[in-house]
Amino acid sequence: MRPIETRYARSGDVRIAYQVVGQGSFDLVFVPGFISNLDLQWEDEGYSRLLKRLSAFSRLILFDKRGTGLSDRVDPHRLPTLETRMDDVRAVMDATGSGRAAILGASEGAPMAMLFAATYPERTRALVLYGGYAHFHKWVMPPERLEAFIEAAGTSWGTGATLPNFAPGRVDDTHFTHWWARFERLSASPTAAAALARMNAGIDVRDMLGTINVPTYLIHRRNDARVDPDASRFLARKIPGARLVEISGRDHPIWTGDVDRVADLIEEFLTGEPAVADVERVLAALLVTRIYDTARLGDRLWSERSLRFQENWRTLVGRHGGRIAGTHGELMIARFDGPARAVRCAALLREAAQEIGVASAQGVHVGEVEMRGPPAGLTARVAMQLAAHAERGNILCSRLVAELAAGSGLHFIDAGRISLDELDEPLALVQVTAEQHLEPACRPKPKPAEPATLTARESEVVSLIADGKSNAAIAAELDLSEHTVKRHVANILLKLDLPSRAAAAAFSARHAGPDGP
Amino acid sequence: MLIKTQTVDGAAIKRAIEGRDGKMLSSFYNDDAVVRVIDRNNPPSKPREIRGRAAISTFWDDICSRAMIHKVDTTIAEGDSLAFTQACAYPDGTKVFCAAMLELKNGRISRQTVVQAWDE
Repeated sequence: MRPIETRYARSGDVRIAYQVVGQGSFDLVFVPGFISNLDLQWEDEGYSRLLKRLSAFSRLILFDKRGTGLSDRVDPHRLPTLETRMDDVRAVMDATGSGRAAILGASEGAPMAMLFAATYPERTRALVLYGGYAHFHKWVMPPERLEAFIEAAGTSWGTGATLPNFAPGRVDDTHFTHWWARFERLSASPTAAAALARMNAGIDVRDMLGTINVPTYLIHRRNDARVDPDASRFLARKIPGARLVEISGRDHPIWTGDVDRVADLIEEFLTGEPAVADVERVLAALLVTRIYDTARLGDRLWSERSLRFQENWRTLVGRHGGRIAGTHGELMIARFDGPARAVRCAALLREAAQEIGVASAQGVHVGEVEMRGPPAGLTARVAMQLAAHAERGNILCSRLVAELAAGSGLHFIDAGRISLDELDEPLALVQVTAEQHLEPACRPKPKPAEPATLTARESEVVSLIADGKSNAAIAAELDLSEHTVKRHVANILLKLDLPSRAAAAAFSARHAGPDGP
Repeated sequence: MLIKTQTVDGAAIKRAIEGRDGKMLSSFYNDDAVVRVIDRNNPPSKPREIRGRAAISTFWDDICSRAMIHKVDTTIAEGDSLAFTQACAYPDGTKVFCAAMLELKNGRISRQTVVQAWDE
């Protein structure tokens, strides 16, 4: 596929940059919010996902408003009116041969889209407004907060400092923060950004809402950090026949948060058919990396190191051809095409963690995973449990990983079995060995299981079994339910490969620790 | 009352498509007609299906609203089957080429399969 071509439409004496993607039977014009950059948006995973989804059912027309992104710059002291900017939409439609299009206005793009629909109903197939509003001061920021925003933007524009105002859920994502900083720099100069913000503050299209006479669909995130959801509720009341859907989430930009949910809704509204459930399940290796040590390091040092580790994680995952699948607190999840890559990446992550000075424990599992959305499903849950189960510095894999990685030169040692609630059979485990050893020529006899492979709690249970105590007595002594004790006993027998409680008692006697009997 | 309707043949289709006459095109279909579109986003195992005259009208209205040039080149008719090729160009130079196979029933289109490829 050729790179997406950027062209320029003439609107008065200004050139407006635009792109056309997709082969759908109807046109969809995307009117972006505050700032945009046609080239840069394809570099963000969420943004390109959204555009790919939309262009799968439409001919998607994208543009940068005058004064922003790749379009001509304008004198920031004499910014165009909303009407002039709206006319840029018409100019771009003319250039692309679009006689009639569905208009998608996001955030600040919504008032422009509404004005277009009211002015050119014959050229508006339908209107979709995401996180929109009709009056800036009422639903986005009161005047005093706007001044503070503009002042802050004036001193820190281009550093990504505006991100918390738009997507607080992404501030800890350093990769995205860097992208956002570039997004600011490449979308508008500091003076233009301040002027744009001031101009947007003047937006008030409340009076024309009643004149919109095209099918209208409104989407707003319930906890939107930037635009009060009441803004869309007001639009729903005032635009004849408009329908509002409120969805969960707080990040404001349309390309952050659950992008697929937004795309599904838009597709269903515009095509009249529900989006074909994108059941893209693929066979993949999931690597779950867990870091810990908060208690030892203290909060400040921990947060510095964990951020540093996350940066390393993103880089290393990318270098091994993996994809970031998401994070769950201190669990980081990445998806790889093959298990060997996942394991190699895990080995380097272990080194990175050691260098940075945090404890790491990792799990790798192979199975079918959903391509869409955050990591969920059985494969992800198993990989997460492996990471939870792995000891400091270990990379614990299901045996399947080792079998599939045969011939890769990686070496694994047996690591027993683990019983997981969701699996009928205990899962056979292997552990990645740090080094590839030459020799021995013959396979070593499997090491007899050591009590060290038992958790602290399991060791306690074993010694109580050795004392001849029943499950009920052990439960009482350890303040656990009998069911939990039974589970511990089952795990112990599995891990030690022992047939009975009596054998476990004998084992405990043989392996008494220094404090033992 | 008798309503005079346009006979559906290669010449009529050519005239309607090249004249971007969505209304005329929609009138060529039976009420329960099906149009199947196969292209990059709608592969052969999962073609896009547009069912019924109302949906087909919207489809043609959308396409005919585009200020582009359509040229119907080759039309072949045999019994109740009709086939044609169509070359299209957008004002920015993007070209689209389609081949369409049609089945007629009672003089109207009942089934149409379009295979299209776009410049990209």
